[in-house]
Parts: sequence; C-alpha cells; structure tokens
Amino acid sequence: MSKIQNLELLVVGGGPAGLSAALAAANYGIKVSLSEEREFLGGQLIKQTHRFFGSEKEYAGTRGIDILKKLIDEVNKNNNIEVLLSSRVLGIYEDNIVTILNDHKMKKYYPQSIIFATGASEKFLAFENNDLPGIFGAGAVQTLMNVYGVLPATNVLMIGSGNIGLIVSYQLLQAGVKVAAIVEAAPKIGGYSVHASKLRRLGVPILTSHTIKKAIGKEKVEGAVICELDSNWNEVKGTEQLIKCDAICLSVGLTPLVDLLKQRKVKTTYVSELGGYVPLRDENMETSIKNLFVAGDVSGIEEATAAMIEGQIAGLSVAKRIGKNSKDEIEERIEEAKNELELLRSGPVGKKIRKGLSKLGLNHGKNYNEKFSEEALDISHLMKTGVPSEENLKNKLPSEEKVFDKGPIAISECFQRFPCDPCVKSCLFNAISENANINNIPYVDFEKCTGCGICVSKCPGLAMFVIHKNFSETTSVVIMPYEFLPRPHKGEIVKVFDREGKYLCDGKVIRILDGKFQDKTAAVSIEIPKEYYLQARNFKVEEGNHG
Amino acid sequence: MDENKVIICRCEDVTLKEIRDAIREGFTTVEEIKRVTRSGMGPCQGKTCGLLIAKEISQMTGKPMEEIELQSIRPPYGGITFEEVTKGTVMENDK
Ligand code: SF4
Ligand code: SF4
Repeated sequence: MSKIQNLELLVVGGGPAGLSAALAAANYGIKVSLSEEREFLGGQLIKQTHRFFGSEKEYAGTRGIDILKKLIDEVNKNNNIEVLLSSRVLGIYEDNIVTILNDHKMKKYYPQSIIFATGASEKFLAFENNDLPGIFGAGAVQTLMNVYGVLPATNVLMIGSGNIGLIVSYQLLQAGVKVAAIVEAAPKIGGYSVHASKLRRLGVPILTSHTIKKAIGKEKVEGAVICELDSNWNEVKGTEQLIKCDAICLSVGLTPLVDLLKQRKVKTTYVSELGGYVPLRDENMETSIKNLFVAGDVSGIEEATAAMIEGQIAGLSVAKRIGKNSKDEIEERIEEAKNELELLRSGPVGKKIRKGLSKLGLNHGKNYNEKFSEEALDISHLMKTGVPSEENLKNKLPSEEKVFDKGPIAISECFQRFPCDPCVKSCLFNAISENANINNIPYVDFEKCTGCGICVSKCPGLAMFVIHKNFSETTSVVIMPYEFLPRPHKGEIVKVFDREGKYLCDGKVIRILDGKFQDKTAAVSIEIPKEYYLQARNFKVEEGNHG
Repeated sequence: MDENKVIICRCEDVTLKEIRDAIREGFTTVEEIKRVTRSGMGPCQGKTCGLLIAKEISQMTGKPMEEIELQSIRPPYGGITFEEVTKGTVMENDK
C-alpha cells in the first residue's frame, strides 16, 4: 500500500513562474516540492536564446537561457526545495489530494497549499489542409531548433506577428532558415516594434491585414495561399497569392493551461485579452479555492517577466499564510512586487492586460495613468510595416546636423512605449534617459554620449546604433549590432542594407567587439560612403568569403 | 472553404464540417459536441480543439464566448496502470 505524503507547498510547473514561486516561499522557510512534467526544469525559458526586455531588476537584457541558469542554480542550492522531475501531476481531487505520476508510480500527496504554474498551450488555426505535415506551432519550431538543434524546414511562412512569431522568425534566420513572410490578420503588428524592425532590416516582409486561406501540398506542405483582409476582417476578392514554403509556422497566440484547475473546479471565465479561459483570482494570486494559487501564463497570457513577479507574489503569499514570523517583511515584499507589476503593465502595450484584469475585477481603484499610457509618438506606420516613418526618425535624431560633428554619437531607434530599460541602465555616462518610468521612450543626450557603443550590444531590441558621420572626408562609420554567423573579419567587405532590407552599398568592417561583455551580440563598425550614414542599418556577410 | 478539409480536433481527426453539423443538430455546448464527435477525447484532451469549438458555437448561435463553458476535465490527466489505481492508500501518519 502506498502512503499519502503531507507537503507544505506543492508548486506545479518548473517554468519561470514556478521557479520564482518556489524560491520566494522557500526563502521564508517554507518546505517546497516542485513538480515538473519534463526531465528538466525551465519551461519555455530553455529555448529563449534572445535577450529579455523588462526591468533590469528582473534580468532584462539577459538571455532567457541565462536567466534560467541563475534560477535553477538558486533552486538547487536551496535546501527547502525538493525538485520532482519527470513528474506529471495526474489529478487533484476535491479533498485536495494530488496524484503525481513518477517512475510509473502514482504517488499521492496532501499539500497544505498549492501553486499552479502550468503555463499555456498554443492556439491552433482553422484553415484548409491544416493537418498537412510541415505545419508547426511556433513553440515546437523553437524547441526543435533551440533545444534539440534540429532544423524544421528550409523556407518557413510565419502566421502571426506577436512577439513569439517575431522572435521565432528571427531565430529561424539565425539558424540559416529562410522566412518567406510574416502574415498578420490584424491591421497592425502584434509584437514589439523593435522585433519587427530587425526582421524588416533583414528583408523579411511583414504583411498586416493578411491571412492564410489554405495550405498547399500533397504529402507535405509545398506552399500556402494567403489573401488580404478588409477592415471588417473579410477577404478582399482578387488578392489571393501563392507563397512557396516547406513549412507553415503558427504563432497565433497562447491560451492558459487550466486543465488541472478545472479538475479541482476552480472558477474560470473567458477573457479574450488574457488568452482564453482564465481562473478567477485575487491580487495575491489565490483562486476561488482557498490555499490554491496560480502564477504565470496559467493566470493569463503575459511576458515571462510578469510571470516571474507573479510567481514571487504567489510564493510570498503562501509564506505569509503558513509562516510564523517575518510577516511584516513578507507583506512589504509582496507590495514591492505588486508595484513592479503595475509599473510593467502601465504603458500602452499593457493596456490589453489591464483591460483583461479589470474583467476579473482586479486592479480596480489602482490608478493607472491612462493619459500617460498613450503613445507619445504616432507610430501607426511603424506598427503596420515594421519600418519607422520619417517623422519618427526625425524625433530621435539630433535636431541640428552639426551635433554629428562632435564625433561618434548613439542613435536610439526605439519608438514605442513598452517596459524596457537595459539601454538606460547600461550606459556608463548616463546619456540615455527615459524619465523614471520604464515605459518611456529612451532619448540619447548627445552632449553626454561618448559613442562608446556599450548600448549597441546591450539593447535586446537591437535598436541602438552609433554613428560617426565624419570618420573621413568621404566616409562615415556606423556601429551595428550583429547576431549572425559567420562573424565578419576585420577589413572584410560586406553588403549594407537599409531599414527595409534594401541593398544600399558595400561597406568595410573596421572593428568588431565580440567579447564576453557583448555576450553574442557583436558590435561591428562598418565604414560606408558618407551619404548613407542615416540609412545604413544592417549588413550581411557573404558566405563565400569564409572558407 | 472546404469544411471537410479543415481539421478542428487533430487527435480524433474531427473536421469543421462535423462540428458545424453537430451545432446545427442542436448540440451547442463543447461537452455535448465532445460526446457526439469524440473531439477533445484524444491525448491532448481538447487543448487544440476546445477553444476552436467554443468559438464556432459562439459564431453560429450568437452566444457570447463568456457564456460558453469548456468541456469538463477529470483526473487522471495522463495514462496510468490499473494496478496503481487499485493498490489503495493510507495517510502518512496513520501507518
Ligand atoms: S554609445 Fe556609450 S555613451 Fe553613448 S549612449 Fe551608448 S552607452 Fe551611452
Ligand atoms: S532602446 Fe532601450 S528601451 Fe528600446 S529596446 Fe533597446 S534597451 Fe529597450
């Protein structure tokens, strides 16, 4: 006969939210059991090779996989946390008994409190032939490439321009796969503009107000028929076009994985802004069942940074309830975390989340400054095309041409209000200011900027460039971020492109900063004819040049 | 659009045509549609099709999504042997 084991806290799910929850509770003496279905911890972080946005405090500017290493390291060092790997929670029953399948055995636990951090699953799309081999979810593509090192295809059509669609497209290019186009049904790009811009610079078309009609192919995907949509989301007749590709990648959103919560009959409700059916919960992440908490995507789809903070809030709330001392200190921590969440969500991109949360009855009475959260610049063109307008650029360039005469200066091509600050935090000379709120648009103080180029490698959006207009009589130098292989050699001639990926001119590589500090985002100085210093924003290394 | 070529439930191979037919016949909850079409009964337990079916019901009946429930979900969440179920259990402290 097997025994039912008592637990203080069971955390279900070893992703960013679950790890943060376990740590937050364990640090206040709570005995935590952390159950993870897979044979390793990390959740979605194990495939996030890109740098994170968000606040420095929550690891912004660091790559997802490196954030993960830090979290796992802390978890392993913590004696209060017992990690159960390859452990799938099979059931949670009305008396709160939880069964976990581990080593082919169904083990039974009776936890005092539970935090569900089960994450999300990918949404699927209904179109003709949507079961052909070669149709992938974006998460699957990312897992294949970044975890197992397997190329999914050679030429991919991406459906969906949210951050995941944009990030996976970029990672496909990094892996040497062609991205035929990014198709977006909405009239504007769903993800951050900086992600979209870096794809445009690489020549990938982003087709807003377009949708996929059907997949083409006999045995597997050979192409797709796409068409344009009008403002009522109806097909515009005569706009059908065939796109050749050998895979279609669906990135049409995530939906909270509430299955276990539904087993326990936690109250859920449909909130489209949060991705689908979400649990009702309070500001401390507690659901309609006492001592049953949620954290991360299962409570509503958001970014990993928010998931980590929610994990902390849930973990701390459990610690406060079970713990015998430090209650005031815990309460203070909870308040801090809540404030940080509020700040993250306070900009225009947080609007959707705020709306969704208010449908759950949350954050009422809190004063998000809706006036502040309006965009400061008109970025409609940028959000439709991924390319900034002349107006947008003018706003970020020095007002007087002669400022360029002072020497190299940094230019920030970041035009959207969203929670991100590594540029500000990385500059040793305090030359980038965003006026206290992490959602503000960064502006370079050209007086203070020395043109050192540190920010070029640190910006996760690859939106920082350094321009040395008067490098010589006839040439300028632009320092650009570069995340591809092969790396260029000093002295090499490369092809230089503009913000739409159009070829401009040839350029000469004169310096490469690619050390530990740059952490795989090299800062490459390219010498170009002077007339192009305001346009040259990307370059490609010709494969043939590297034997 | 050829409804026969649009798959809604990948595990049980249920097409959009079958889902729409079921709704037309008067099955207007995800739970009922699951029972008549087997959608959501495969290994993914409705993770792929659940939302799509709910949206289809909403569109065809005019009922807002907020009023549509997903199918019920019961333990166990994955496969286990009967031996494990029948062995029985005692509380840790009871001995
Ligand atoms: S180039 Fe150097 S000094 Fe100028 S903004 Fe960037 S980090 Fe600061
Ligand atoms: S410029 Fe600053 S705010 Fe914009 S993406 Fe880069 S680091 Fe973030």
